Amino acid sequence: MVIRANSLLQVLCYVPVLWLVLCGNHVSGRLFAGEPQGDSPVSRATALLRSNCFSCHGEQEAEADFRLDLINTNFQNDPVTAEKWQRVLDAIRDEAMPPPDAKQLTADERRWLVNWVDGEIQQYVKSSSVTRPPRRKLTRVEYQNTMRDLLGIEMDFARDLPADPISPDGFTNDSRLLELTPVHLDAYLDSARNALQRVIVSHARPAEFHHRFERSNVSAWHGETHISSELGRQQQFLARIESAYPEQGEFLVRVSVSVELMPHCGFPLLEVAVGYRPDTQILFREFPVVEISTPGEQVYEFRGNIQDFPLPVRGQGKFPGLVVRLRNTYDDGSPLPKGVKTDGKKLVYPAEPHLPLLRVQSVEFHGPVFDTWPPAQHANIVTEIGSNGEPKRSDVRQIVTRFAQRAFRRPLSNSELRSLMKFYSEVRSDFPKFEDALRETLAFILIQPGFLFVPGTDQTQADNGKSENGKSTGEDNWVLASRLSYFLWSSMPDARLFDLAANGLLSQPEILQAEVERMLRNPKSSAFFEQFADQWLGLDLIQGVEVNKDFYPHFDAALKTEMVKESREFFAEMVRSNYSAQDFILADFSMLNESLARHYGIEGVLGNQLRRVRFPPSHHRGGLLGQAGFLLAGSTGTDSHPVRRAVWIRDRLLNDPPRPPPANVPGLDAIDSSFQQLSVREKLEVHRHDPTCASCHQDLDPWGIALENFDAVGLWREELRVSRGEEFVKSPIVAKDIFSDGFELAGPEQLKERLGCDLSDRFARSVLSRLLTYALGRPLDVMDHAATLELEKQFADSGYRMRDLLKIIVASDLFRGSTFGRNQHDR
Amino acid sequence: MTAKSWHLDRRTFLRGSSLLGTSISLGLPWLECMGNDSSTTTAITAKRFCSMYFGFGVSLPKEDSEDARCRWFPTSEGANYEVSHTLQPLEPLRDKLTVLGGLSHPMGRKMGAHDTGDTFLTGALLHNKFLQNTVSADQLAAEVLRDKTRFPCLVMSTDGGVGEPTRSSTLSYDIKGRPIPALNQPQQIFNRFFGAGDQDSIAEHKLLRSKAKMLDRVLADSKSIRLKLGQQDQQKLDEYLSSVRQIEQGVERSQKWLEIPRLELRDEERDLLHLDADDKAPLTYIRTMYDLIYLAFRTDSTRVATYQITNMADASSKAGKFPQLEGFKSSLHSLAHDWNKPGGAEALGPWDRLMVEQLSYFLSRLAAATERDGSILSNSVVLYGSSNSNTHNNRNYPLLLAGGANLGLKHGRYLRLGEEVPLSNLLLTMLNCVGVETERFSDSTNDLSVLTQT
Repeated sequence: MVIRANSLLQVLCYVPVLWLVLCGNHVSGRLFAGEPQGDSPVSRATALLRSNCFSCHGEQEAEADFRLDLINTNFQNDPVTAEKWQRVLDAIRDEAMPPPDAKQLTADERRWLVNWVDGEIQQYVKSSSVTRPPRRKLTRVEYQNTMRDLLGIEMDFARDLPADPISPDGFTNDSRLLELTPVHLDAYLDSARNALQRVIVSHARPAEFHHRFERSNVSAWHGETHISSELGRQQQFLARIESAYPEQGEFLVRVSVSVELMPHCGFPLLEVAVGYRPDTQILFREFPVVEISTPGEQVYEFRGNIQDFPLPVRGQGKFPGLVVRLRNTYDDGSPLPKGVKTDGKKLVYPAEPHLPLLRVQSVEFHGPVFDTWPPAQHANIVTEIGSNGEPKRSDVRQIVTRFAQRAFRRPLSNSELRSLMKFYSEVRSDFPKFEDALRETLAFILIQPGFLFVPGTDQTQADNGKSENGKSTGEDNWVLASRLSYFLWSSMPDARLFDLAANGLLSQPEILQAEVERMLRNPKSSAFFEQFADQWLGLDLIQGVEVNKDFYPHFDAALKTEMVKESREFFAEMVRSNYSAQDFILADFSMLNESLARHYGIEGVLGNQLRRVRFPPSHHRGGLLGQAGFLLAGSTGTDSHPVRRAVWIRDRLLNDPPRPPPANVPGLDAIDSSFQQLSVREKLEVHRHDPTCASCHQDLDPWGIALENFDAVGLWREELRVSRGEEFVKSPIVAKDIFSDGFELAGPEQLKERLGCDLSDRFARSVLSRLLTYALGRPLDVMDHAATLELEKQFADSGYRMRDLLKIIVASDLFRGSTFGRNQHDR
Repeated sequence: MTAKSWHLDRRTFLRGSSLLGTSISLGLPWLECMGNDSSTTTAITAKRFCSMYFGFGVSLPKEDSEDARCRWFPTSEGANYEVSHTLQPLEPLRDKLTVLGGLSHPMGRKMGAHDTGDTFLTGALLHNKFLQNTVSADQLAAEVLRDKTRFPCLVMSTDGGVGEPTRSSTLSYDIKGRPIPALNQPQQIFNRFFGAGDQDSIAEHKLLRSKAKMLDRVLADSKSIRLKLGQQDQQKLDEYLSSVRQIEQGVERSQKWLEIPRLELRDEERDLLHLDADDKAPLTYIRTMYDLIYLAFRTDSTRVATYQITNMADASSKAGKFPQLEGFKSSLHSLAHDWNKPGGAEALGPWDRLMVEQLSYFLSRLAAATERDGSILSNSVVLYGSSNSNTHNNRNYPLLLAGGANLGLKHGRYLRLGEEVPLSNLLLTMLNCVGVETERFSDSTNDLSVLTQT
């Protein structure tokens, strides 16, 4: 063997302890740095790899940027090298390597090599001192939800927090990346103070305002506004309160409407907004739209905090007064009739009798509203205090203890309580009222690590209060409650989870399983579906693509929001109905509402509610791969972008992201001007003539090209349109391509068969891997390998059922936290 | 399930606590700059940024018309420009200021006639459907200069507060483009800046003190914390503590100002003030507001000030009635609208001149106040102007740039610039003058180097 001078200069390394024990002699650590000595396993491995692998993964070729001649045998504290060995192990065990056209290992050789590498990795896992981040800062969404559940009010708590960093997998809850900067800390304190100012009141019961309107009292707004009590697509009902309105506290808008439904039409959508200056959008804030599916008279109530709505400045505005605005946002997509100016001034839109109508009977405004004084949120926290006067110190201690325990999601230690009470005493004299000092004390709790961090999945004892007296029984339950609730609710545990934790019951397997079921039934689980589905599938990319109006003149940008909901709801349906993972690919349905169905050309789906809709085979649709959101995200807004779609499939569905293109490759557009005229597909052809590009793209592009029949907005097409000057030039679609191993893929049906049948195990493992990454709040590594294999087996045994998968993960040692791989091996 | 592996790493822990140790000394360097009681002896030039604004533009009859004397802009360009009757009160300060013509915000040209007041110092585009402003130049200056003084900035307007979008009653917008409420009561401003503090600032101080105690306590607790800290966990805690310490430094800095006694005003300065002035007596009120900026600069209480004298909120604005209260026939809006009707220029011109007289008073005070290295005026960049040339015209803003001789500005000219030059170029140059190191502001294309060359 030729010993290369530069390899000898590498740092001297040592073989794993195992080998020292077994061989009893000191062997050169770098596998291929020196001549192998004697018959040691290292030398046998060296010989096997050299004769079978080096020709491609060595000095000469370095295929896939992977050089086996430089890999180190010692990786005790070197997770990067350990990952590399894991890749070697997987490739050899799965017989993915050596490739068919290369020299093969015999069965014996393969078995021996697999055992050897596996043994090395096991040794690494046992002896590694690499630890995981045990603590994870709350994400923006988790902070928002936790504050909401803790304080019992709705508010934009996370407004001033910077965006969370995104992991390579697309997740925002990666404990290694989440940071806590001074900007964060300042924002946490400001938010806590603002919120507590609302929750804890120290003023007298405020004056209340009550108004009732039977017709719009605003007649002369400028701008194109048609004011009416009969709300179709273009009318508004505007109720203005000139000055008798509150500037803080909860308010209630009660709307009484009479509804006329129309056949072959969806349902009216009642939108209530509060603000001022109806000629702009920013000065109004809308409540979530209410879909009304029954005819006749009915009453709806909307509650909000007036401080969260745009308020006019008293005595200053050009448009004085608070305005309640009602609209019917149902739109059947037909062309809007033109407005007519009556008596030379007012704009009137003709009635559209084929559309559902909302007839406004009355609008009431009440504010501030509260059932009791002080309001319930206040009373829930400040329980011990009588009507007035300075509370006893023991009462304050009670209040602070109860609040801190909920905020920290575990029992409070004596020293923690002492510190909080000391703080209360320190600030008490600075403020005229005890409520002020209490607010500050509670705000103080809300900037402490105990609140801002959740225990990571590799830490059983977090900063657990009880650990002071050395008792560990029951502690796991508190940590488990937090993990569970941040996994499935993106928020703090509720009272029941706390109870189960307090009684040490949560960790019992049956109870844990039952809690997963209960939590998934709770509406708060929508946070999980939203967070995980959006991040796994990259749904936020949908909003980022600007659809080209020249190509898609009828595309309504509002549909993008519906597309996000479709994929998110589809994921939720997979979990709720316990579908098999393959159904992500093979399902013949998706979750549609009227506007999505209209987009796809499916008739008879009316209303805003998403529901399961089966596609006839002629639609080539069903499952993730036919969803317009994914297809739009994998487009330029003008044409499909097969590479983007392919990367998404490789990364998100197969957990096999292609390597990023080398840095020195010019963008496709930079080659020449006529290149601009080509379709994306044609550009791709040009670019695959370049051997540096082809080496990766050959096994990438076919995944996306199979979907070429779906245009930028996800609709089926037989022809490709390219804009040449004033007109479109058309050419037939080619949706067929060949992988480097000769496998041919043509059209979405074959693609689905490939992913959902041939590769279904691989796909299912990929789903598990992503879900586990999200559940743990960190990427998986070699140390998780053994545990993950066990979970994969359980998942397969369940028939790859999705709700079962959640339970498998929650029940796993990885999630419950006792484990590193090493603990498992210790058993 | 017991994890036995969480041993407290002594070294890691000690590293953490030694970091705590450094935090205490980290607080000290601030004393250095705060020790500069800069009434008369500023070690380093105290650079100031100041801007005034008025709504609806000015009277602009043609140069050859019979009421040409009511034209705001001078008649000839360059160093030998012939001053207009309107600007004549500034003649004594001729070598300390530049008259600028032709400038405007390109985005403002796309906006409604009366909607541009909000963007005078920001250059943003406010669309009727999307009324989101961006940071104003003065606030970028305040970011850089805030640590040197007790207050980051003094934001004032006649109407006070923020008004409503497109009818703003403040010139200043924070880094996120949110309006900063303007102060409009002389007594309140005086209390906050020169007295025992107004109600708001007293409340702020209490919260500041409470925040300081929180941070102290967190740091104190962290020393005695008995966690089983893994390495990574320790890192997270360190990151948290380091944020705490950084914030604490800011709090300490703010608190130090509470301990440093405020500079006493001189008797003659007090005598001059009309703290009871209100919007019923416009000229007294405007002068008082100018006096307050002068005092804030003179005592080095802040180095950034904005004052919106009048705005475009029309009838609902207090400042809208100013002309009538001073004996003019109609409101500011009507005066501005009628400038090109018969007799209109004659009606608006004198009002423009009256406003220039107030400015002249202010600039003269700044010029007369000597500091170690010149006058306050020579250490300040002062912009005065409107976002209309005349009403409904969002181009060719009437602008005056004064002061800053020590900061590189060359004066004594009337410069007419082309429409290809965005107003942000001027704001960028002003920012560079006061030490904001940036090559761009809003939609600037370059700095306005002509201002720093002779």
